[in-house]
Amino acid sequence: MVLKFETKWEIPFIHSAGEHGTKFFEALKDKKIMGVKCPECGRVLVPPRAFCERCFVDTTDWVEVSDEGEVVTVTVTYIKFTGLPDPPYATGIVKLDGADTGMLCLLGGVDLSDWKKVHETFKPGARVRAVWKEEREGKITDILYFEPVEK
Amino acid sequence: MKVGIVGIGITEFKIHDEPFYNVAYRAAKKAMEDAEIERREIDSFILGGYDNLGVGRTISNMYVAPAAGGYLRHEIRVSEDAAFALPLAYMRVKSGLSDVAIVLGFGHSSETPVELVELQSLDPLFHRDLKLSLQMGYAMQSFVYRNTFDVSEEDTAKVVVKNRKNAAKNEYAFQKESISEEEVISSDMAVYPLRKPEIAEWCDGCVAFVLAEETTAKRINPEPIWVEGLGWTYDNYFMGARDLSKLFATAKAAEMAYKMAEAKPTEMEAAEIMDLTSDYHFMILEALGFAEYGKAKELINSDLLVNKSGGALCTNAYGSTGAFLLANLAFQLRDGEIDKGIAQAMTGIAQNAAVAILAK
Amino acid sequence: MRRVAVVGVGQTKFRTRRDDKTHPELTYEAMNKALEHAGLDIKDIQAIAYGTMDPFDGIYLPERWDVTSGGIGKPFMKISTGGTTGMTTGLAAYEHVASGLFDIAMAVCTQRVGECVDAQPVLNTAVCPIYERYSGAGAISVAAIQATVHMHKYGTTEEDLAWVSVKDHKNALKNPNAHIKLDIGVEEVLNSSVVSSPLKLLECCPRSDGAVAVIFASEEVAKKIRDNPAWVIAETTISDDYYTGDRPDLSDWDTLAIAGRRLYRFAGVDDPKKDIDVAELYSPFTIQEVLELEALGFAKKGEGKNLAREGVTFPDGDMPTNPSGGVLCANPIGATGLVRLAEASLQIMGEASNQVRDVDVSLAHAWGGTLQFHTLMLLSAKKKLKG
Repeated sequence: MVLKFETKWEIPFIHSAGEHGTKFFEALKDKKIMGVKCPECGRVLVPPRAFCERCFVDTTDWVEVSDEGEVVTVTVTYIKFTGLPDPPYATGIVKLDGADTGMLCLLGGVDLSDWKKVHETFKPGARVRAVWKEEREGKITDILYFEPVEK
Repeated sequence: MKVGIVGIGITEFKIHDEPFYNVAYRAAKKAMEDAEIERREIDSFILGGYDNLGVGRTISNMYVAPAAGGYLRHEIRVSEDAAFALPLAYMRVKSGLSDVAIVLGFGHSSETPVELVELQSLDPLFHRDLKLSLQMGYAMQSFVYRNTFDVSEEDTAKVVVKNRKNAAKNEYAFQKESISEEEVISSDMAVYPLRKPEIAEWCDGCVAFVLAEETTAKRINPEPIWVEGLGWTYDNYFMGARDLSKLFATAKAAEMAYKMAEAKPTEMEAAEIMDLTSDYHFMILEALGFAEYGKAKELINSDLLVNKSGGALCTNAYGSTGAFLLANLAFQLRDGEIDKGIAQAMTGIAQNAAVAILAK
Repeated sequence: MRRVAVVGVGQTKFRTRRDDKTHPELTYEAMNKALEHAGLDIKDIQAIAYGTMDPFDGIYLPERWDVTSGGIGKPFMKISTGGTTGMTTGLAAYEHVASGLFDIAMAVCTQRVGECVDAQPVLNTAVCPIYERYSGAGAISVAAIQATVHMHKYGTTEEDLAWVSVKDHKNALKNPNAHIKLDIGVEEVLNSSVVSSPLKLLECCPRSDGAVAVIFASEEVAKKIRDNPAWVIAETTISDDYYTGDRPDLSDWDTLAIAGRRLYRFAGVDDPKKDIDVAELYSPFTIQEVLELEALGFAKKGEGKNLAREGVTFPDGDMPTNPSGGVLCANPIGATGLVRLAEASLQIMGEASNQVRDVDVSLAHAWGGTLQFHTLMLLSAKKKLKG
């Protein structure tokens, strides 16, 4: 019989958003989603970043994008993984109006038990809008999830 | 075919507010500006630095590759101080697979207690429950060194004084505050026999080099700094299986580098070494062949230019210290102060080493 | 350019947990198997490139411990690039020899995901903590979102994807090292529970413990070691930018297509379907094989979904993929890329357990990160592809 030992990694981190990133999070408090526009390729990048990877230049032009947009993709997870959300939860990418890139996020506001129905509701191109937290803190979780826009 | 450094970019070494990838971007951009080339002219991106626990993100090169300019390009990461990435970049260029490569070292220590991170590198079977921190490991080795060779705390205090004096004149160094021998000896004991100023503090900072094969190198920069020798290796993981009075890995890596460069220690006009503690300063010099074992303390007033940068004792970023030292050596070559020099890096409890010999 | 070949390969059996060995002992096992295969001794190895994805094994920088398996005093380098680690480690060892600095170098990768109670939260730590980690994204969801788009755009069905799983599982039955040995049909795959829609349990890889080593040698040395080495013709890696939402079209793995084009151009491959005889692709999820086939030019866009069902990618088909059973049947994550290279090499040598007929050229692939990295290596029975 082989002996086994249990261990755990509990390592605290304090992640800096940086001066640049802080602007995005402050704006979330006002229910505003900000992106940056690359001065060379002109793409509006959300989430914002301090430099455009393609053009390799600083991005300092801040642009407000809508908190509404279209679904790029979705998946519903039904299994519980340690430390991850309780299932079922829907993860997806939403391209907000005004942005050229999509944003990884949670999708919700609907019954998630039948994934085929969820994939129909949130099919690529479906219109969604952000559901905001009542008390916002300047964290990405100020956006609870994106829900379908009723037609 | 020779391989040369044609561009160098170095950021401020301090506690950064910016995420590590934004600091890395600055280093890469500076290196490209220094070489006067665009990222499009670079065909390989070789990163050096730590992953997951080191920066709080697993697969950290996902963030640093674009920062280095690697968008849609060939990219790879060596998981260690960036001094260990230089050999891979060199070999890729030397093989003919790449003509211009960038080596980017990202050092980030401020987002988490590095001691807790390094603790997890201890195996869970024999060592982790002993809660052996890096400083404890350094201290045990210092204790052996001082006892074996009768090295006093006055001897080691002089190392701190000298490094700080040099750092005060180096715009890139982190810890620039001068200190006297008396102040060192009367400082708080951190882990016996090491006093607080005798152990390098952590900070953040990034360094990037543009490397090129000989013909292309001369077009980019008429005076490339040639990488003439490289060596890298590891000692045994178990401290109890090592001769703690000597740095085997540094000696072996240096042997490999000297052989490749067809050079001797006496030809080195300057050394930039990763003295994570005052004792390591002496031990590294001995392993590099500048003094007999136990006798490096006699070099303290010699002409040998050691750690003009202030060394690791004054600038130590988790992942890029070796690159910082290499850059400072390169600057000395560039400024015409020396024609040939050696840089050394080591990590963990001095288990490994990477050595580079640069020349004009 | 210096010709380099794979002259020895060693794999341990991939299992849920290798409780019988410690980390360095598992590394030692693979190294010895490779040495035996090449008829070499550890002292013949001049340099080692070692790879692993640290967090899964619960030991940070395990190479410090694993170096005790024959690496002490040798030039020893650790490579870590996410899921591509196995192959980038192989690439690094190859470059050690290609540079002329060494004549014999070994790549070795060890992974013990079995010691990690749950791998998904570890993968979740790869996702940006400031902008994205809260979304619960991990490896499975990242593949699932690709499937959603491919199905929407091309009408790919759950059954199409199930065929990929059937193929890989059938192949694994012939591989003594494979972790998962299940003789299943399409029905079993479709009836398995949904993990991350639309992907079901039998469409997802296992997590495996194991190690693998590959020995590279220069031309003169390779010839002395064996008369059937696998020559490395070309290698490349590519990196996309970080954010998952930046990918223009998740149904098109364009970064792999770009890397493939570069590889083919360098190697002199005119038509991958004709010029390449077998491919070991990194598809831990069924949809990814479909995307890889399309990106690498083995199928037109939107038609990759047909290949498994039509038998094209089965061992006796026109374009066999993953005769080893692939990642779907054994996934020692950081080592998996090197397993692909090992299997692709064995196919060239004619020594694979599920040997495809008449293999002259093989392709090995690995992807990593949250879809951004790819590494490719092309091998051949001849020193040059043509002529």
